[in-house]
Amino acid sequence: MEKEPGKRALQIRSVISVLVIVVLWEAAARAGLASPLFLPAFTAVVAEWWTVCADGSLPSDLLTSLFRAFAGLFAATLVGVGLGIAMARSRLVHWIFDPVIALAFPSPKIAFLPIFILWFGIYSTSKILLVAFACVFPIVIGTYAAASAVNRVWIWSAYSLGTSNLTLLFRVVLPAAWPRIFAALRVALPVSLITTFTAEMVGGGGGMGASLMYSQRFFESPTVFAYILTMLVVGLLLDAMMLRIQTAFPAWHGNA
Amino acid sequence: MRAVTDETTGVPKIQIQAVSKSYPGDKSPVLALRAVDMSISEGEFVSIVGPSGCGKSTLLYVLGGFLEADGKVLVDGKAIRGPGTDRGVVFQEYALFPWLTVRNNILYGLERGALAPEERTRIADRLIGVIGLKGFEDRYPRELSGGMKQRVAIARTLACDPAILLLDEPFGALDAQTREVMQDELLRIWLETRKTVLMITHDVNEAVYLSNRICVMSARPGQIVEEFKIDLDRTIPREKLFLSDAFNKTRNEVWISVRQQALAAERLNAGV
Amino acid sequence: MQGSDRYAVFRSPVGRMIPLVAMGLIWQAISATKLVDPSFLPSPVRIGHAMVDLLTGREIRDNLFVTLARAAIGLALGSAAGVWLGLMMARSPTFRAYAAPIVGGTYSLPKSALIPLFILWFGIGTATTVCAVFLACLLPMVVNTFQGVASTPRVLVWGAQALGTRPREMLWQVFLPHALPDIFTGLRVALGFSFVLAISSEMIASTNGIGKLIFMYGENGAYDYMFAAIACVVVVAFVTDRLLLLLTRKCLRWHESATERGAA
Repeated sequence: MEKEPGKRALQIRSVISVLVIVVLWEAAARAGLASPLFLPAFTAVVAEWWTVCADGSLPSDLLTSLFRAFAGLFAATLVGVGLGIAMARSRLVHWIFDPVIALAFPSPKIAFLPIFILWFGIYSTSKILLVAFACVFPIVIGTYAAASAVNRVWIWSAYSLGTSNLTLLFRVVLPAAWPRIFAALRVALPVSLITTFTAEMVGGGGGMGASLMYSQRFFESPTVFAYILTMLVVGLLLDAMMLRIQTAFPAWHGNA
Repeated sequence: MRAVTDETTGVPKIQIQAVSKSYPGDKSPVLALRAVDMSISEGEFVSIVGPSGCGKSTLLYVLGGFLEADGKVLVDGKAIRGPGTDRGVVFQEYALFPWLTVRNNILYGLERGALAPEERTRIADRLIGVIGLKGFEDRYPRELSGGMKQRVAIARTLACDPAILLLDEPFGALDAQTREVMQDELLRIWLETRKTVLMITHDVNEAVYLSNRICVMSARPGQIVEEFKIDLDRTIPREKLFLSDAFNKTRNEVWISVRQQALAAERLNAGV
Repeated sequence: MQGSDRYAVFRSPVGRMIPLVAMGLIWQAISATKLVDPSFLPSPVRIGHAMVDLLTGREIRDNLFVTLARAAIGLALGSAAGVWLGLMMARSPTFRAYAAPIVGGTYSLPKSALIPLFILWFGIGTATTVCAVFLACLLPMVVNTFQGVASTPRVLVWGAQALGTRPREMLWQVFLPHALPDIFTGLRVALGFSFVLAISSEMIASTNGIGKLIFMYGENGAYDYMFAAIACVVVVAFVTDRLLLLLTRKCLRWHESATERGAA
């Protein structure tokens, strides 16, 4: 049995892996293994990335996309957590909504984009609502599972101490269910980003996805790579942030 | 420790010579076993008892060939090289294949042998009868109780007809009643087959009831510190045996020895 | 939790569809009152008509087939590669050490972002779609396979060895069967991804496929047909998911959670 490497070792290995890829990439591009259209040099990508940052187009696109993603995620959280808890508390509510959720959950939400564009146009509103629509499912399902699993003993104890229903919700159910709800949010975050970017790629209307498609249409490879790398880094940073938040509050994970 | 020799060949069935085993620890290596010497004759039923964490299971895993250690481990005079079908193992956690039925679990070891299919089925069915699980052949482990699972585990090991049985706290996960039933089963099987058995247990009663030799292991790093030879009349029913003076005298002696080691272990932990 | 038995009918498979039917009726009623512009929200009846048209015509069947074929190929290749990668990572610590950061890194990248890149490389068409689906299905399969193999209890491994299993047999006799439940879980996730990426890629740029069809209907203002095509997608996604669940239940009869499986 091998000893598990420490965090430090893992970070070093990540850096090495990335460096190896970058070096190979640069070498392959310089050696002319592929045309600059297919594989622009890493240095060219970085240069282009710097340009689009400096002229403000990348930052503004990024802000637009992030705004849409977070707005949609926020709406999905409000609706999703609310509905999930309602479904856990009331068998009637569960009975009403469960078939709809089960039916729509496996379907690709992006297929509904044309409906949202039809109703709300091609700019931010339709995208925010689509993101909300896509993210609400994992959140509802996760919240419902978490809320129904809240230890009955705790609820009974609270009742016997004279707790009102609303207090019960906020002081017992939510704190107990929160770790799993947060886990569902962590899953929903990449969904919000993917849905935003894809909706922008399909429907235009500004944002990272739209600019990405635009540069592809004009065969601006370095720009394409620059945007993709930015999306990758942003995704990594956001997930790391969620992880940091999660570990900063030990009560928020593990079996509370 | 006196070596107990085999009557037929003069070479003990199992020889453990100066076996030491250490694990990498947080700060420095942890020595689990220190220069353990032991011999087991053919047909003996030896139990190793001792405080928790003293390394008794480690010794069994070394003998089973799952762990490497310093020193020599010989079976029939030859050094062992990894696990083998000559040493059947029964773990506390059953280790049944959950995706195989009772019958297929038992057939598993047989399929690696050279027997004809009809012969294999015959042996498997006979064993299923021996462990009393007729009618459950096509059930999956998840449908069985703990006691039933352990019976299947024993049958599966017996199917390969190993000369040696290594049992690692085989009944530790069972409730008290089931444990007693299983002990009787095991005794019956051993009396019938007379295999060489090495059992790890923390239950002194169990050790005295089943074995004809008990080795007491010290706290970590484990060493054999005392040996007891048990000579009880096992034809007496369990109720009478457990109430007899001979049983209780032996049991008390062993228990005191183990207790001394357990207390020493506590002092060790408190001091650390 | 027991309910009184008069509610049992509501929990039967048919009873559970009542809310859906009720929603459909409410929808139909709203459409009939013309509260909403019918082109924005066609009535269920009109969508039904459109669906019948589509299904009897060649158009939707051909395009649906194309989409499903692309998704299936990508799913099959991605899953196979994912299982292989997961196995390698579980069996070789060195491999894992260097692959893990890369695998973890791709988690955060929306695979649909690579579609424009693939268009640049492969042009518009099947290769792009299959590539996108392939990459999307890879990650869940790698992670789940790895988890399934790495979590094999050592007593299971040791037990198998003591029964005479040779090293080269361990993979098929012990590790893969043990990993099977996790692999199926990963497969369900990958199935969902395959639909998302196939449709996304077709909507972004394609000459055929149901994603393209939906988009086209939208652009041409044939909203009845657009809704109908989307409904088809929803139904197909639901049905394939259920089929996979059925297959899972069949293959995993022996698994502890066999009694609980089946929920969404």
